[in-house]
Amino acid sequence: MENISTYISLVVGLLAFSVIGILIFVVINKNEQLNLLKLALNKLKNSFNELDQQAKLIVKTDLELNKAQEELDKRINGLETLQKVSRLISTTLDENEIFNRLNRVLLAELGFEKNLILIYDENKELLDRINLGFPPNDIPFILSKLLDDGDLIKALSDGTSFSSLESSQQRKEEISRLFEVEHFILSPVLTQNGIIGYVFVGNRSNASVITAGDEELVSILANQIGQSLENALLFEQAFRSSQILESKVQDRTKQLASALEEVKSISKTKSEFISAVSHELRTPLTSIKGYASILMTGKLGNIPDAVKDRLAKINTHSDNLVKLINDLLDIARIESGRTEMHKETCNMTNLIENVHDLLTPQMKDKNIQWIALLDPKTPEIFIDKGQVERVFINLVSNAIKFTPAGGTIMVKSQLNDKIVEIEVADTGIGINEENISKLFGEFYRVENEINQNVKGTGLGLALAKKIVEAHSGKIWVASELNKGTSFHFTLPIKKT
Amino acid sequence: MVTHIGIGFSRDANAENAAKEAALQSKADLQDGRIDFALILSTMHYAPQRTLPVLNQVLNQTRMIGCSTAGIILSTSIETRGIAVLAIHSDDIQFGIGSVKDIHTQDVRSSGVILGKNSVTDFGNPGRQFFIFFVDGFLKNNSLFLRGLQEVLGNVFPIVGAGSCDDFHFSNSFQIFRNKVLEHSATGLLLGGHVNVGIGAQHGWRPLGKPRVIDKADGNVIITIDGKKASSLYEEYFDKEAENLRSARLGQMAILYPLGIKIAGESEYLLRNAVEILEDGSIVCQGDVPEGHDVHIMIGNKDSCKQAAVGAALEAKKNLKGALPRLIIIIESMARLKLLGRIAFEEVKRIKEIFGLTVPVIGMYSDGEICPFQSIESIKRPLLQNESIVIVAIS
Repeated sequence: MENISTYISLVVGLLAFSVIGILIFVVINKNEQLNLLKLALNKLKNSFNELDQQAKLIVKTDLELNKAQEELDKRINGLETLQKVSRLISTTLDENEIFNRLNRVLLAELGFEKNLILIYDENKELLDRINLGFPPNDIPFILSKLLDDGDLIKALSDGTSFSSLESSQQRKEEISRLFEVEHFILSPVLTQNGIIGYVFVGNRSNASVITAGDEELVSILANQIGQSLENALLFEQAFRSSQILESKVQDRTKQLASALEEVKSISKTKSEFISAVSHELRTPLTSIKGYASILMTGKLGNIPDAVKDRLAKINTHSDNLVKLINDLLDIARIESGRTEMHKETCNMTNLIENVHDLLTPQMKDKNIQWIALLDPKTPEIFIDKGQVERVFINLVSNAIKFTPAGGTIMVKSQLNDKIVEIEVADTGIGINEENISKLFGEFYRVENEINQNVKGTGLGLALAKKIVEAHSGKIWVASELNKGTSFHFTLPIKKT
Repeated sequence: MVTHIGIGFSRDANAENAAKEAALQSKADLQDGRIDFALILSTMHYAPQRTLPVLNQVLNQTRMIGCSTAGIILSTSIETRGIAVLAIHSDDIQFGIGSVKDIHTQDVRSSGVILGKNSVTDFGNPGRQFFIFFVDGFLKNNSLFLRGLQEVLGNVFPIVGAGSCDDFHFSNSFQIFRNKVLEHSATGLLLGGHVNVGIGAQHGWRPLGKPRVIDKADGNVIITIDGKKASSLYEEYFDKEAENLRSARLGQMAILYPLGIKIAGESEYLLRNAVEILEDGSIVCQGDVPEGHDVHIMIGNKDSCKQAAVGAALEAKKNLKGALPRLIIIIESMARLKLLGRIAFEEVKRIKEIFGLTVPVIGMYSDGEICPFQSIESIKRPLLQNESIVIVAIS
C-alpha cells in the first residue's frame, strides 16, 4: 500500500512538476507575447502619434491653402469687378453718369463693407458721391473731421495712401475711429491738376483684414476714377468752349446778317435813288443834246465857229453823261433784278470776233496785236448776247487803254467742265495789288497817268461784274505792275 | 389641383426697390397672383425694417417667414448680396407657420415646444408631412431647441432647420414672421396635404489625426478631452493660428475645421462647430456633445464637398420614391461657401443634373443645419449638424 501510495505520490509529483513546468513555459511564452504586444502597441501608438503630427502639418497646410484660396478668390473677384468698373466708367464723359455706372452694387462686389467716394465739387466743397455702409447723417461729421486733419489731407494730396496694413498706430487709430472700422484703405483720387477726391473702403469686423492686394486694388480704382473724371472734366470744358464759340459765331452771324440786310437796304435805296436821279437827268439831258444838235445844224441861223466848237463840246459831254447815266441805270436795274437777262444760245467765237471787229480801229491806232485762243470744243452757250458783248467790249477797251503801243491783247476761252472760262489779258501797265480788290467797285478808278488823261465813269467793271454774276458766273483779275493784267470770267454753258 | 411656384430675386442697391423687384418676380409665375405662402431670404445688406413692409404689401399679406443668410442659392447663381422670395400657391399643399421670440432669454427647450405648437395650431388639419424652421444661428445650443420641437412633432418626424446668420461676421442675424422682424427667435413652416418630401443630407468632412476622447462634457460644452482642457485640441493643431481662437476669427476658422464625433451605429460623423472658447479652455459647441465618445478634428475639401452634395441629392431623390420634384430647397452650411469660394455654384449644377435642369431651386447658407442624420438604422432622427448640405425635394 505504501508502495502504491509512494508511486502515486511520485506520479502526482511528476505530473505537478510537468504542469508547473508547462505553466511556467506558458507564462514565459505569454509574457513574451505580451511584451511583443506591448511593443506592437507602443509602435502603433508611435505611428498614431506620428500620423497625428502629420495631421497637424496637413491642417496647417490646409489652413494656409484656405487662406491663400480665399485671398485669391478675393483678388480675382476684385479684379473682375475692377475690370467691369473700368470698362463702364471709361466709356462715358459725363461726370454724373460715371457715378451712376459706378453704382453701389458694383462697388459692393469689391468685397468691402464700407465704401465712400468723396469728390470735390466746382466750389472745392467735398461731397460724398458714393456711400455704401455709412449712415447719411454721419457723412457731414466725417467730412468735417477729415478736412480738419491738415496733415492727413496734405499727405493724401501728395499721393500717399493710408491703410490699416501700413499706417502708423496713431494714424490707424484715428482713421479707424473716424470711419468706425477695424481695417481700412484711404486713397487719394489724383489727376494731373492735383487731388480731386478720396476713395475710402473699410471693414468693421476684426476678422476681415485688409491685404496688400486690396491696397493695390483700391489704388487702381482711385486712379481709374481720377482718369475718368479728368476726361469728363476736359470734355466738359471743351464742350463749354465750343458752346461759347458757337454762341459767339451765332451772335456774329446774326450781326453780319443784320448788317447785310442793312447794306442791301441801303444798296436798294441807293439803286432806287440813282435810278430816279438818272431818269430825271436823262430827260433834260436829251433836251440839251437835242437843242445843241439843232443849233449846230444852223437851222436857227448861222452860228460862229467858236460857238460851234462849244456846241460840239456840249454834245460830246452830253454823250458822256448819257453813257454814264445809262451805265448807272443798268447797274441799278441788274442789282434790283429789274433787268432780265435775255438769254439765248450764242456762239462764243462769233461774239469775240464781233468785238474784235468793233475795236480793231483803236488797236490799229496803237499797233496792238490781237491774239484769240479759243477752245474749239466750246459749244454754243446760253447767254444774253448783248450784255456779254458789253463785258467783252469793256474789258478789251480797258486793255487797249492801258496797253502801250506795240503791246498785245490776248483773248482766250477754255472749256472747263460745265463752264467756259474766258481770259482777256494784256501787256499793259498793270494794277498794283492795293487796287485790285477795289477794282470792281462802282465809280472806282485806279489812279494812274492814263486815267488822269482819259475820262471814264468808273462804272464799266462794276457793270461787267453785275452782268457776269447775273449769268451765275464769276469774274476776277490778276495783275502784275508793268507786266500786264488778265481778267477772267466764267459763264455756264447750259441754262441756269 | 395645381401648385404654382415662383422665385424672385433682386440685388438692387435700394432696399425697398430690391424687395419690390424680388416680390413681383416671384408673383409673376403665380396664377391670378394668389399666394398661400412666401419664404424670404435676405443678406444682411438689406434692413428688414425697410424691406418687410414692401414685401408684405406686394405679397398680399400672405403667410410669410424668412431669415438672414450669408448667401442665397438660386437656380442660376450663388448670391452673397440680395433678397430672394419663394412664393407658393397650391391647391394640394397645406401650410402652417409659427414663431417663437427671445429664445436667448427663455428656456431653449420650451421655446422649441412653443414654435412647434404655434405651427401646428396655424396648420390646423391633420396630415402634416414636413417641418422646416429658421432659428437664430448664434443660439448656443440648438439641440435643446430641436428636442422641444420633437416633443410636439415626434422624434422621427422629418424636420429640417437652418441657423440664420450674417455675412461671416458672426455677430447678428434676423428672422421674419409675417410682418414682424425678429431677433434671437425662430420661425417655422409646417407642410402637409398632398405633398411628398424627400430629404438628403451629407457633409463630406473627414476625420484627421488620432482620435481623442471627450472625457468630460456638459450639454453643448466640452470641458476636457484626453484629460486636458478641450481647447488644447485646437491649440495643438493650429499652433500660432490658435491665438485666433479667442478672437472674432474663431467662427471663420472653426467652421472649416469642426469637431467630428463618432456615434455608434451612425455612418457619418456628427459635426460640431466651436462657437466660443471659455476662459478655462472649455469649448462651447453649437449643439449637444456626448460624453465618452471619440472626437476628431475634421477636414473637408472642394471635392469632398461636391461629392457630399451629390450624395445628399441622390438620397433626397431616393426618398421622394419616384415622385417628380416640383421644388428643391437647399440648406447649406456657410462653411461650404467659404471652402468652395468661386466654384460654389458647381454644387448646384450637380444637384440640378440629378433632379432636372428646370426644377426651381432656392436655398441659403446657414450657421448650423438640422436634418435627419444619415444612419444605419432605418429610422432617421433629426439632429443638429454642422458643415452639411441638406437638400429638400418637394413633390
